[in-house]
Amino acid sequence: MNKIKIISGIIAVMILTITLYSCTAQRAAASKKSGAQLWGENCIRCHNIPSPGDYNDVDWETIGLHMRIRANLTEEEIVKIVEFMKTVN
Amino acid sequence: MRTIAAAGLLFLLFFGPDIFAQDFKPSKTQFMIRGYGHSGLNYEKVNDEDPDVSYVGATFAPMFLFKHSDRLLFEAELEFELEDGEVKVGFEYANFNYVLNKYITARAGKFLLPFGTFMERLHPAWINRLSTLPLGFGHDGVAPSSGIGVELRGSAPIGSGKINYSLYMINGPVLVTSAMDPEEAGMLRFENFEDNNGNKAVGGRLGVLPLSNSSVELGVSFYNGLAGNTGSQYENVAASLYALDFSYVKQISAIKGILDIKAQYTQSNVSDANYYEMAPGDTIPVSYTFANTSNAYFAQLSYRPSMASGFIKNVEIVGRYSTLATPEGAEWEQEASQFAIGVNYWLSWRSVLKFSYQITESVGGHGNTGANTTKGMFAHWALGF
Repeated sequence: MNKIKIISGIIAVMILTITLYSCTAQRAAASKKSGAQLWGENCIRCHNIPSPGDYNDVDWETIGLHMRIRANLTEEEIVKIVEFMKTVN
Repeated sequence: MRTIAAAGLLFLLFFGPDIFAQDFKPSKTQFMIRGYGHSGLNYEKVNDEDPDVSYVGATFAPMFLFKHSDRLLFEAELEFELEDGEVKVGFEYANFNYVLNKYITARAGKFLLPFGTFMERLHPAWINRLSTLPLGFGHDGVAPSSGIGVELRGSAPIGSGKINYSLYMINGPVLVTSAMDPEEAGMLRFENFEDNNGNKAVGGRLGVLPLSNSSVELGVSFYNGLAGNTGSQYENVAASLYALDFSYVKQISAIKGILDIKAQYTQSNVSDANYYEMAPGDTIPVSYTFANTSNAYFAQLSYRPSMASGFIKNVEIVGRYSTLATPEGAEWEQEASQFAIGVNYWLSWRSVLKFSYQITESVGGHGNTGANTTKGMFAHWALGF
Protein backbone atom coordinates (compact mmCIF):
# COMPACT_ATOMS: atom_id res chain seq x y z
CA MET A 1 0.00 0.00 0.00
CA ASN A 2 2.90 2.34 0.80
CA LYS A 3 4.31 1.70 -2.65
CA ILE A 4 0.99 2.74 -4.18
CA LYS A 5 0.93 5.96 -2.12
CA ILE A 6 4.50 6.84 -3.10
CA ILE A 7 3.85 6.26 -6.79
CA SER A 8 0.55 8.16 -6.61
CA GLY A 9 2.34 11.05 -4.92
CA ILE A 10 5.07 11.15 -7.57
CA ILE A 11 2.50 11.14 -10.34
CA ALA A 12 0.48 13.89 -8.65
CA VAL A 13 3.57 16.10 -8.34
CA MET A 14 4.47 15.46 -11.98
CA ILE A 15 0.97 16.32 -13.12
CA LEU A 16 0.98 19.55 -11.10
CA THR A 17 4.40 20.53 -12.44
CA ILE A 18 3.44 19.85 -16.02
CA THR A 19 0.14 21.68 -15.69
CA LEU A 20 1.86 24.75 -14.25
CA TYR A 21 4.45 24.58 -17.02
CA SER A 22 1.78 24.37 -19.65
CA CYS A 23 -0.06 27.37 -18.21
CA THR A 24 2.86 29.54 -19.18
CA ALA A 25 2.56 28.51 -22.82
CA GLN A 26 1.08 30.81 -25.42
CA ARG A 27 -2.69 30.94 -25.14
CA ALA A 28 -4.63 31.36 -28.36
CA ALA A 29 -8.13 30.18 -29.17
CA ALA A 30 -8.69 27.69 -32.01
CA SER A 31 -10.14 30.49 -34.14
CA LYS A 32 -6.68 32.08 -34.31
CA LYS A 33 -4.85 28.86 -35.12
CA SER A 34 -4.01 27.30 -38.46
CA GLY A 35 -5.08 23.83 -39.52
CA ALA A 36 -1.46 22.70 -39.31
CA GLN A 37 -1.20 23.80 -35.70
CA LEU A 38 -4.49 22.16 -34.74
CA TRP A 39 -3.41 18.97 -36.57
CA GLY A 40 -0.24 18.86 -34.50
CA GLU A 41 -1.96 19.56 -31.21
CA ASN A 42 -5.06 17.37 -31.41
CA CYS A 43 -4.21 14.13 -33.26
CA ILE A 44 -1.34 13.47 -30.87
CA ARG A 45 -3.69 13.36 -27.89
CA CYS A 46 -4.45 9.71 -28.78
CA HIS A 47 -2.09 8.57 -31.54
CA ASN A 48 0.89 9.76 -33.56
CA ILE A 49 0.35 12.58 -36.01
CA PRO A 50 -0.85 11.09 -39.30
CA SER A 51 0.84 11.75 -42.59
CA PRO A 52 -1.40 13.80 -44.94
CA GLY A 53 -0.22 11.75 -47.92
CA ASP A 54 -1.57 8.48 -46.55
CA TYR A 55 -5.11 9.28 -47.65
CA ASN A 56 -6.71 11.24 -50.47
CA ASP A 57 -8.99 14.26 -50.15
CA VAL A 58 -12.16 12.19 -50.10
CA ASP A 59 -10.79 9.85 -47.43
CA TRP A 60 -9.83 12.80 -45.25
CA GLU A 61 -13.43 14.04 -45.38
CA THR A 62 -14.63 10.68 -44.03
CA ILE A 63 -11.85 10.41 -41.45
CA GLY A 64 -12.50 14.00 -40.40
CA LEU A 65 -16.17 13.33 -39.68
CA HIS A 66 -15.25 10.15 -37.80
CA MET A 67 -12.60 11.88 -35.69
CA ARG A 68 -14.85 14.85 -35.01
CA ILE A 69 -17.23 12.44 -33.28
CA ARG A 70 -14.80 9.94 -31.74
CA ALA A 71 -12.26 12.46 -30.43
CA ASN A 72 -14.80 15.19 -29.63
CA LEU A 73 -13.15 17.83 -31.80
CA THR A 74 -15.01 21.08 -32.35
CA GLU A 75 -16.45 21.86 -35.77
CA GLU A 76 -13.96 24.66 -36.29
CA GLU A 77 -11.01 22.43 -35.42
CA ILE A 78 -11.96 19.59 -37.74
CA VAL A 79 -12.80 21.89 -40.67
CA LYS A 80 -9.38 23.51 -40.42
CA ILE A 81 -7.54 20.21 -39.94
CA VAL A 82 -9.24 18.54 -42.95
CA GLU A 83 -8.60 21.57 -45.15
CA PHE A 84 -4.95 21.45 -44.16
CA MET A 85 -4.68 17.70 -44.90
CA LYS A 86 -6.29 18.19 -48.32
CA THR A 87 -3.96 21.06 -49.11
CA VAL A 88 -0.71 19.25 -48.39
CA ASN A 89 -1.45 15.63 -49.33
CA MET B 1 -11.84 3.81 -91.80
CA ARG B 2 -8.39 5.05 -90.89
CA THR B 3 -9.69 8.60 -90.97
CA ILE B 4 -12.49 7.76 -88.53
CA ALA B 5 -10.04 6.00 -86.20
CA ALA B 6 -7.65 8.94 -86.34
CA ALA B 7 -10.49 11.36 -85.60
CA GLY B 8 -11.54 9.18 -82.66
CA LEU B 9 -8.03 9.19 -81.26
CA LEU B 10 -7.77 12.96 -81.62
CA PHE B 11 -11.13 13.35 -79.89
CA LEU B 12 -9.98 11.20 -76.97
CA LEU B 13 -6.67 13.06 -76.85
CA PHE B 14 -8.31 16.46 -76.51
CA PHE B 15 -11.52 15.65 -74.64
CA GLY B 16 -10.64 12.36 -72.94
CA PRO B 17 -9.23 13.85 -69.75
CA ASP B 18 -12.42 15.85 -69.19
CA ILE B 19 -14.61 12.80 -69.82
CA PHE B 20 -12.59 10.62 -67.46
CA ALA B 21 -12.40 13.42 -64.90
CA GLN B 22 -16.20 13.42 -64.83
CA ASP B 23 -16.21 9.63 -64.47
CA PHE B 24 -13.92 9.81 -61.44
CA LYS B 25 -15.71 12.64 -59.70
CA PRO B 26 -16.01 11.49 -56.07
CA SER B 27 -19.48 10.55 -54.96
CA LYS B 28 -21.19 12.22 -52.03
CA THR B 29 -21.28 8.95 -50.12
CA GLN B 30 -18.02 7.34 -49.12
CA PHE B 31 -17.09 3.94 -47.76
CA MET B 32 -13.80 3.17 -46.04
CA ILE B 33 -12.30 0.20 -44.32
CA ARG B 34 -9.86 1.08 -41.59
CA GLY B 35 -8.86 -0.74 -38.43
CA TYR B 36 -5.85 -2.47 -36.97
CA GLY B 37 -4.09 -5.78 -36.50
CA HIS B 38 -1.42 -7.13 -34.25
CA SER B 39 0.51 -10.27 -33.53
CA GLY B 40 3.33 -11.27 -31.23
CA LEU B 41 5.12 -13.56 -28.85
CA ASN B 42 4.23 -13.86 -25.14
CA TYR B 43 6.32 -15.35 -22.35
CA GLU B 44 4.50 -15.71 -19.03
CA LYS B 45 5.62 -17.45 -15.87
CA VAL B 46 3.45 -17.85 -12.75
CA ASN B 47 5.48 -18.32 -9.55
CA ASP B 48 7.88 -21.24 -10.09
CA GLU B 49 5.76 -23.04 -12.65
CA ASP B 50 7.00 -23.80 -16.14
CA PRO B 51 6.69 -20.73 -18.35
CA ASP B 52 4.07 -20.48 -21.05
CA VAL B 53 5.64 -19.29 -24.30
CA SER B 54 3.27 -18.78 -27.21
CA TYR B 55 2.86 -16.85 -30.38
CA VAL B 56 -0.38 -14.99 -29.81
CA GLY B 57 -2.66 -12.48 -31.33
CA ALA B 58 -2.99 -12.51 -35.07
CA THR B 59 -5.80 -10.12 -34.30
CA PHE B 60 -7.54 -8.50 -37.26
CA ALA B 61 -9.99 -5.73 -36.39
CA PRO B 62 -11.52 -4.12 -39.49
CA MET B 63 -13.50 -0.93 -38.97
CA PHE B 64 -16.13 0.06 -41.52
CA LEU B 65 -16.95 3.71 -42.09
CA PHE B 66 -19.81 4.78 -44.30
CA LYS B 67 -20.14 8.55 -44.75
CA HIS B 68 -23.62 9.07 -46.09
CA SER B 69 -23.40 12.87 -45.99
CA ASP B 70 -21.49 15.59 -44.20
CA ARG B 71 -23.73 14.94 -41.19
CA LEU B 72 -24.47 11.21 -41.23
CA LEU B 73 -21.87 8.55 -40.52
CA PHE B 74 -22.21 4.83 -39.84
CA GLU B 75 -19.33 3.04 -38.13
CA ALA B 76 -18.85 -0.61 -37.23
CA GLU B 77 -15.97 -2.76 -36.06
CA LEU B 78 -15.44 -6.51 -35.97
CA GLU B 79 -12.58 -8.25 -34.21
CA PHE B 80 -11.22 -11.59 -35.35
CA GLU B 81 -8.89 -13.18 -32.84
CA LEU B 82 -7.18 -16.55 -32.39
CA GLU B 83 -7.84 -17.70 -28.85
CA ASP B 84 -7.95 -21.11 -27.16
CA GLY B 85 -7.41 -22.90 -30.45
CA GLU B 86 -10.27 -21.27 -32.33
CA VAL B 87 -11.18 -18.10 -34.16
CA LYS B 88 -13.28 -15.77 -32.05
CA VAL B 89 -15.29 -13.04 -33.68
CA GLY B 90 -16.18 -9.99 -31.64
CA PHE B 91 -18.85 -7.49 -32.61
CA GLU B 92 -17.20 -4.43 -31.11
CA TYR B 93 -19.64 -1.74 -32.18
CA ALA B 94 -22.04 -0.63 -34.91
CA ASN B 95 -23.77 2.72 -34.69
CA PHE B 96 -25.31 5.62 -36.54
CA ASN B 97 -23.98 9.13 -35.94
CA TYR B 98 -25.84 12.29 -36.95
CA VAL B 99 -24.39 15.76 -36.47
CA LEU B 100 -27.36 17.83 -35.28
CA ASN B 101 -25.47 21.13 -35.05
CA LYS B 102 -22.06 22.56 -34.14
CA TYR B 103 -22.29 21.31 -30.60
CA ILE B 104 -24.43 18.16 -30.60
CA THR B 105 -24.06 14.79 -32.34
CA ALA B 106 -26.63 12.03 -31.79
CA ARG B 107 -25.62 8.38 -31.81
CA ALA B 108 -27.64 5.16 -31.76
CA GLY B 109 -26.60 1.52 -31.77
CA LYS B 110 -23.78 -0.33 -30.05
CA PHE B 111 -20.97 2.06 -29.24
CA LEU B 112 -17.81 2.27 -27.17
CA LEU B 113 -18.64 3.99 -23.92
CA PRO B 114 -16.89 7.20 -22.98
CA PHE B 115 -16.43 5.91 -19.45
CA GLY B 116 -12.98 7.28 -18.82
CA THR B 117 -10.93 7.38 -21.99
CA PHE B 118 -9.04 4.08 -22.20
CA MET B 119 -11.62 1.85 -23.85
CA GLU B 120 -13.04 4.47 -26.19
CA ARG B 121 -9.82 6.05 -27.41
CA LEU B 122 -6.71 4.16 -26.31
CA HIS B 123 -7.26 0.39 -26.36
CA PRO B 124 -6.50 -0.43 -30.07
CA ALA B 125 -3.15 -2.22 -30.28
CA TRP B 126 -1.57 0.43 -32.51
CA ILE B 127 -2.54 3.18 -30.01
CA ASN B 128 -1.99 1.34 -26.71
CA ARG B 129 1.69 1.87 -25.88
CA LEU B 130 1.98 -1.56 -24.23
CA SER B 131 1.01 -5.04 -25.42
CA THR B 132 -1.34 -5.63 -22.50
CA LEU B 133 -4.30 -3.80 -20.98
CA PRO B 134 -4.03 -2.21 -17.52
CA LEU B 135 -5.58 -4.16 -14.64
CA GLY B 136 -9.31 -3.54 -14.42
CA PHE B 137 -9.95 -3.58 -18.18
CA GLY B 138 -10.96 -6.47 -20.42
CA HIS B 139 -12.42 -9.71 -19.05
CA ASP B 140 -13.37 -9.38 -15.36
CA GLY B 141 -12.82 -5.65 -15.74
CA VAL B 142 -14.32 -3.01 -13.51
CA ALA B 143 -14.97 -0.56 -16.33
CA PRO B 144 -17.64 -1.05 -19.03
CA SER B 145 -16.35 -0.94 -22.59
CA SER B 146 -19.47 -0.72 -24.76
CA GLY B 147 -23.24 -0.52 -24.56
CA ILE B 148 -26.37 -0.55 -26.72
CA GLY B 149 -28.53 2.55 -26.67
CA VAL B 150 -28.51 6.22 -27.61
CA GLU B 151 -26.09 9.03 -26.92
CA LEU B 152 -25.70 12.78 -27.32
CA ARG B 153 -22.14 14.05 -27.46
CA GLY B 154 -20.15 17.04 -28.64
CA SER B 155 -17.68 19.73 -27.76
CA ALA B 156 -17.51 23.49 -27.53
CA PRO B 157 -14.81 26.13 -27.12
CA ILE B 158 -14.78 27.82 -23.72
CA GLY B 159 -12.45 30.81 -23.57
CA SER B 160 -9.10 29.66 -24.91
CA GLY B 161 -9.81 26.04 -23.94
CA LYS B 162 -12.72 23.72 -24.66
CA ILE B 163 -15.01 21.17 -23.11
CA ASN B 164 -16.47 17.93 -24.44
CA TYR B 165 -19.39 15.96 -23.14
CA SER B 166 -21.35 12.76 -23.57
CA LEU B 167 -24.70 11.67 -22.16
CA TYR B 168 -26.05 8.22 -22.96
CA MET B 169 -28.84 5.80 -22.10
CA ILE B 170 -28.16 2.08 -22.65
CA ASN B 171 -29.48 -1.35 -21.68
CA GLY B 172 -27.10 -1.33 -18.73
CA PRO B 173 -25.33 -3.97 -16.70
CA VAL B 174 -26.39 -7.48 -15.67
CA LEU B 175 -25.75 -8.73 -12.16
CA VAL B 176 -24.22 -12.20 -12.08
CA THR B 177 -26.13 -14.35 -9.56
CA SER B 178 -25.10 -17.59 -7.89
CA ALA B 179 -27.43 -19.48 -10.21
CA MET B 180 -25.72 -18.00 -13.26
CA ASP B 181 -22.13 -18.52 -12.10
CA PRO B 182 -21.39 -19.12 -8.40
CA GLU B 183 -17.74 -18.14 -8.81
CA GLU B 184 -18.67 -14.73 -10.22
CA ALA B 185 -21.73 -13.99 -8.07
CA GLY B 186 -21.99 -10.23 -7.58
CA MET B 187 -19.97 -9.27 -10.66
CA LEU B 188 -21.35 -6.99 -13.35
CA ARG B 189 -21.51 -8.00 -16.98
CA PHE B 190 -21.78 -5.10 -19.35
CA GLU B 191 -22.58 -6.95 -22.59
CA ASN B 192 -26.35 -6.68 -22.21
CA PHE B 193 -27.80 -7.16 -25.69
CA GLU B 194 -31.37 -7.53 -24.38
CA ASP B 195 -32.27 -5.55 -21.29
CA ASN B 196 -32.81 -7.84 -18.32
CA ASN B 197 -35.02 -5.29 -16.56
CA GLY B 198 -37.12 -2.29 -17.44
CA ASN B 199 -34.47 0.09 -16.19
CA LYS B 200 -32.03 1.74 -18.56
CA ALA B 201 -28.59 2.71 -17.34
CA VAL B 202 -27.66 6.36 -17.70
CA GLY B 203 -24.11 7.55 -18.00
CA GLY B 204 -21.94 10.31 -19.28
CA ARG B 205 -18.61 12.03 -19.28
CA LEU B 206 -17.48 15.63 -19.05
CA GLY B 207 -14.00 16.43 -20.33
CA VAL B 208 -12.28 19.76 -19.76
CA LEU B 209 -9.29 20.93 -21.79
CA PRO B 210 -8.30 24.11 -19.98
CA LEU B 211 -5.32 25.01 -22.16
CA SER B 212 -5.49 26.40 -25.66
CA ASN B 213 -2.98 23.84 -26.95
CA SER B 214 -5.29 20.94 -25.89
CA SER B 215 -2.38 19.29 -24.08
CA VAL B 216 -4.25 18.68 -20.82
CA GLU B 217 -7.60 16.93 -20.47
CA LEU B 218 -9.37 16.15 -17.22
CA GLY B 219 -12.48 14.00 -17.31
CA VAL B 220 -15.15 12.73 -14.96
CA SER B 221 -17.54 9.91 -15.91
CA PHE B 222 -20.55 8.26 -14.30
CA TYR B 223 -22.71 5.21 -15.03
CA ASN B 224 -25.83 4.27 -13.02
CA GLY B 225 -28.53 1.64 -13.46
CA LEU B 226 -30.33 -1.35 -12.00
CA ALA B 227 -28.51 -4.62 -12.66
CA GLY B 228 -30.76 -7.43 -11.38
CA ASN B 229 -33.37 -9.36 -13.34
CA THR B 230 -36.95 -8.12 -13.10
CA GLY B 231 -39.02 -10.32 -10.78
CA SER B 232 -36.00 -11.76 -9.00
CA GLN B 233 -34.77 -11.01 -5.49
CA TYR B 234 -32.12 -8.85 -7.18
CA GLU B 235 -34.45 -6.52 -9.08
CA ASN B 236 -33.58 -3.54 -6.88
CA VAL B 237 -29.82 -4.11 -6.93
CA ALA B 238 -28.25 -1.01 -8.43
CA ALA B 239 -24.83 -0.41 -9.94
CA SER B 240 -23.17 2.96 -9.59
CA LEU B 241 -19.81 3.54 -11.24
CA TYR B 242 -17.63 6.58 -11.70
CA ALA B 243 -14.26 7.30 -13.25
CA LEU B 244 -11.71 10.10 -13.25
CA ASP B 245 -9.27 10.43 -16.10
CA PHE B 246 -6.29 12.60 -16.90
CA SER B 247 -4.25 13.10 -20.04
CA TYR B 248 -1.23 15.22 -20.83
CA VAL B 249 0.43 15.01 -24.24
CA LYS B 250 2.86 17.57 -25.57
CA GLN B 251 6.03 17.91 -27.57
CA ILE B 252 8.39 19.83 -25.30
CA SER B 253 11.49 21.49 -26.70
CA ALA B 254 13.33 21.32 -23.39
CA ILE B 255 13.30 17.52 -23.43
CA LYS B 256 13.41 17.29 -27.23
CA GLY B 257 10.45 14.99 -27.48
CA ILE B 258 6.90 14.04 -26.73
CA LEU B 259 5.79 13.42 -23.18
CA ASP B 260 2.57 11.43 -22.88
CA ILE B 261 0.90 10.82 -19.53
CA LYS B 262 -2.41 8.99 -19.14
CA ALA B 263 -4.21 7.99 -15.96
CA GLN B 264 -7.65 6.72 -15.00
CA TYR B 265 -9.33 5.76 -11.74
CA THR B 266 -12.49 3.66 -11.79
CA GLN B 267 -14.77 2.70 -8.93
CA SER B 268 -17.77 0.37 -8.99
CA ASN B 269 -20.40 0.18 -6.24
CA VAL B 270 -23.18 -2.42 -6.29
CA SER B 271 -25.99 -2.62 -3.71
CA ASP B 272 -25.73 -5.27 -1.01
CA ALA B 273 -27.37 -8.59 -1.86
CA ASN B 274 -27.38 -12.16 -0.71
CA TYR B 275 -25.59 -14.79 -2.75
CA TYR B 276 -25.36 -18.54 -2.20
CA GLU B 277 -22.60 -21.11 -2.09
CA MET B 278 -22.55 -24.85 -1.57
CA ALA B 279 -19.95 -25.83 1.00
CA PRO B 280 -18.35 -29.30 0.63
CA GLY B 281 -20.61 -31.91 2.24
CA ASP B 282 -23.60 -29.57 2.49
CA THR B 283 -26.88 -30.24 0.74
CA ILE B 284 -28.40 -26.82 1.27
CA PRO B 285 -26.76 -23.66 -0.15
CA VAL B 286 -25.45 -21.21 2.43
CA SER B 287 -26.23 -17.52 2.06
CA TYR B 288 -23.47 -14.93 2.22
CA THR B 289 -23.03 -11.26 1.41
CA PHE B 290 -20.26 -8.71 1.07
CA ALA B 291 -19.67 -5.00 0.44
CA ASN B 292 -19.66 -5.04 -3.35
CA THR B 293 -17.16 -2.30 -4.14
CA SER B 294 -14.31 -2.62 -6.65
CA ASN B 295 -11.76 -0.15 -7.90
CA ALA B 296 -8.92 0.02 -10.37
CA TYR B 297 -6.51 2.63 -11.56
CA PHE B 298 -3.60 3.01 -13.91
CA ALA B 299 -1.01 5.66 -14.59
CA GLN B 300 1.15 5.53 -17.71
CA LEU B 301 4.04 7.66 -18.86
CA SER B 302 5.79 7.48 -22.20
CA TYR B 303 8.51 9.55 -23.80
CA ARG B 304 9.67 9.66 -27.39
CA PRO B 305 12.62 11.85 -28.45
CA SER B 306 10.81 12.97 -31.59
CA MET B 307 13.03 16.01 -32.06
CA ALA B 308 16.20 13.91 -32.21
CA SER B 309 17.61 12.70 -35.50
CA GLY B 310 18.02 9.28 -37.04
CA PHE B 311 17.08 5.99 -35.39
CA ILE B 312 16.53 7.42 -31.91
CA LYS B 313 13.58 9.66 -32.87
CA ASN B 314 11.48 6.56 -33.53
CA VAL B 315 12.21 4.97 -30.15
CA GLU B 316 9.76 5.35 -27.29
CA ILE B 317 10.02 4.26 -23.68
CA VAL B 318 6.92 3.59 -21.62
CA GLY B 319 6.07 2.64 -18.05
CA ARG B 320 2.70 1.84 -16.51
CA TYR B 321 1.47 1.03 -13.03
CA SER B 322 -2.01 -0.37 -12.44
CA THR B 323 -3.97 -1.89 -9.58
CA LEU B 324 -7.22 -3.79 -9.12
CA ALA B 325 -9.13 -4.43 -5.91
CA THR B 326 -12.33 -6.50 -5.94
CA PRO B 327 -14.70 -7.03 -2.97
CA GLU B 328 -13.48 -8.76 0.15
CA GLY B 329 -15.68 -11.78 0.80
CA ALA B 330 -16.62 -12.36 -2.84
CA GLU B 331 -15.64 -15.59 -4.61
CA TRP B 332 -13.67 -13.35 -6.99
CA GLU B 333 -11.98 -11.34 -4.24
CA GLN B 334 -8.64 -10.09 -5.48
CA GLU B 335 -5.93 -7.55 -4.75
CA ALA B 336 -3.52 -7.09 -7.60
CA SER B 337 -0.89 -4.64 -8.74
CA GLN B 338 1.09 -4.60 -11.94
CA PHE B 339 4.14 -2.74 -13.19
CA ALA B 340 4.98 -2.77 -16.88
CA ILE B 341 7.87 -1.21 -18.73
CA GLY B 342 8.53 -1.24 -22.45
CA VAL B 343 10.50 0.02 -25.42
CA ASN B 344 8.72 0.70 -28.69
CA TYR B 345 10.09 1.34 -32.15
CA TRP B 346 7.81 3.23 -34.52
CA LEU B 347 8.18 2.03 -38.12
CA SER B 348 5.71 4.71 -39.20
CA TRP B 349 3.11 6.86 -37.47
CA ARG B 350 0.77 3.85 -37.27
CA SER B 351 3.04 0.80 -37.15
CA VAL B 352 4.96 -0.12 -34.02
CA LEU B 353 7.18 -2.87 -32.66
CA LYS B 354 6.56 -3.21 -28.93
CA PHE B 355 8.86 -4.96 -26.44
CA SER B 356 7.81 -5.02 -22.81
CA TYR B 357 8.25 -6.68 -19.44
CA GLN B 358 5.64 -6.73 -16.71
CA ILE B 359 5.28 -8.16 -13.24
CA THR B 360 1.89 -8.74 -11.63
CA GLU B 361 1.48 -9.49 -7.94
CA SER B 362 -1.94 -10.73 -6.91
CA VAL B 363 -3.73 -12.29 -3.99
CA GLY B 364 -6.99 -14.13 -4.66
CA GLY B 365 -8.91 -14.20 -7.90
CA HIS B 366 -11.13 -16.93 -9.29
CA GLY B 367 -10.83 -20.03 -7.07
CA ASN B 368 -7.50 -18.73 -5.86
CA THR B 369 -6.69 -17.86 -2.28
CA GLY B 370 -2.91 -17.69 -2.41
CA ALA B 371 -0.47 -15.09 -3.64
CA ASN B 372 0.82 -15.21 -7.18
CA THR B 373 3.61 -13.44 -8.95
CA THR B 374 3.31 -13.47 -12.72
CA LYS B 375 6.18 -12.28 -14.85
CA GLY B 376 5.74 -11.69 -18.53
CA MET B 377 7.70 -10.58 -21.57
CA PHE B 378 6.00 -9.52 -24.75
CA ALA B 379 7.16 -8.78 -28.28
CA HIS B 380 4.33 -7.50 -30.49
CA TRP B 381 3.88 -5.83 -33.83
CA ALA B 382 0.82 -3.61 -34.24
CA LEU B 383 -0.41 -1.82 -37.33
CA GLY B 384 -3.24 0.66 -37.79
CA PHE B 385 -4.67 0.96 -41.27
